[in-house]
Amino acid sequence: MASAAAAPVAVTGSGVVSPIGIGIAAFTDAVFAGRSAVRAHAIDLVGLDVPLVPVAAADFDAAAVTSPSRVPLDRATAMALVAADEAARAAALGEGSVAGERLGVYWGSGMAGASTFETTLRTVYVEHRRMRPTSVVTTMPNAPTAELAVRFRARGAALAYACACASSAVAIGEAMRAIRAGAIDVAVVGGSESLLTPGVVAGWQAMRVLAPLAPDVSADAAARACRPFAADRAGFALGEAAAAFVLESIDHARARGASWHWQLTGYASNCDGVHITNPDAEGQVRAMRAALADAGLAPAALGHVNAHGTATLAGDVAEAASLVAVFGAHRVPVTSTKAIHGHLLGAGGAVELLAAACALVAGRLPPTANTASVDPAFAIDLVTGSARPAPELRHAMSSSFAFGGTNAVLVASRCE
Amino acid sequence: MRPRPIRPRMQPSTFAAISSVLVEGFQVDAAAVSPESALDQLGLDSLALMEFVFAVEDRFGVRIPEERLDPRQAGVTLAQLATLIDEAVALKARGDG
Repeated sequence: MASAAAAPVAVTGSGVVSPIGIGIAAFTDAVFAGRSAVRAHAIDLVGLDVPLVPVAAADFDAAAVTSPSRVPLDRATAMALVAADEAARAAALGEGSVAGERLGVYWGSGMAGASTFETTLRTVYVEHRRMRPTSVVTTMPNAPTAELAVRFRARGAALAYACACASSAVAIGEAMRAIRAGAIDVAVVGGSESLLTPGVVAGWQAMRVLAPLAPDVSADAAARACRPFAADRAGFALGEAAAAFVLESIDHARARGASWHWQLTGYASNCDGVHITNPDAEGQVRAMRAALADAGLAPAALGHVNAHGTATLAGDVAEAASLVAVFGAHRVPVTSTKAIHGHLLGAGGAVELLAAACALVAGRLPPTANTASVDPAFAIDLVTGSARPAPELRHAMSSSFAFGGTNAVLVASRCE
Repeated sequence: MRPRPIRPRMQPSTFAAISSVLVEGFQVDAAAVSPESALDQLGLDSLALMEFVFAVEDRFGVRIPEERLDPRQAGVTLAQLATLIDEAVALKARGDG
């Protein structure tokens, strides 16, 4: 297709804290191995019918992370700082790499400090302790954004995006637009979420979207609870994570001698405008087509999609239909990495873009773990079993379709 | 209204406990901590100062009434804070705190 595309944006650094690994190397290894971090987790609350739920927790010590603002950190904010530090190190983004006014922070989180707020209220109502002076700044939705801005002395726009499960995909895409438009040269972007406290988990469980676990479930069965696009799919596991990237205009990256292996080439977001939870294939199709057009790519140029793939009954039906509508006979290979890292909510878009980037860089497609074969009702090429070689892979897509109807799609491309 | 002046008559053990909260909980250099140190000269912002007073109160299981102390007020010393803690502890021991 003729390239009517807007300029690509370089991704000069990446970092991650996730259930399947902390740091890019461990994450990459687990993604290609299809190694699940999902475990059975008992909700510590009275009065629940279903106390056991599938959860993917990160092996992460938040207490070891110091706040640049010296306030108590929400666990997700601590994850955000560690992921962003890794990304900044990889990008060699040191003092003087970019003027502070030209550096932005674009960060996504669905419910940001909700778990800290829950824990704090528990101490107030149950232990009759006081609200602390820092409770507001620890739990406000832009807390991770603000801490990152202080850490990196960012003095351009520092914006927090909350669009449920599309939050970090939107944050990344909007930063890409700001760089293309010349508003900033560099951005620290991504998303974080950690909501594994009893009240929030019980809230998700009450929606009946989490995969059910038998009371005597084995560790192996719990690890396989989430089966995206399988006929016997039954829902997802909740996870926690942060993923960060350093985005940079090509000119700025070249001028400071940065190196990068992949870049962002397309982005689109829209809304279904139909229903608060039910997905709508029409909105998803428009978002995917618009992202491809933004990248100047025909559907046939895409070699991989890391799908939203929540493994819910209705969600996968809508997404499979959307993929068929957009890619038709091209049958692009599709993966859902949610099977192993769980649903990361506001951090999902960033982590799943990272998985797609791993595929681009390695020339291999990660498997959809746990799904032995795709639901025969879906005419999609799901990558199952083990990683699939894809030496010709040039362009990959990561889709995020959120509660509230927000759809966000990112297209990433390997550098030659 | 401004809290009325506090004449410091603190217990040394109270000061020692407050110092350890500052050094261990708020990463303040031990060399900078003396009874005459002013709270607003410790390098803590106003929010951290209030968290610090909370932490000290929790350590002793007492509350300093707001009208007795605003830690953001210039020149309030650690000795004065320790004295207020001693007063609150004594009040609590008498059973009317």
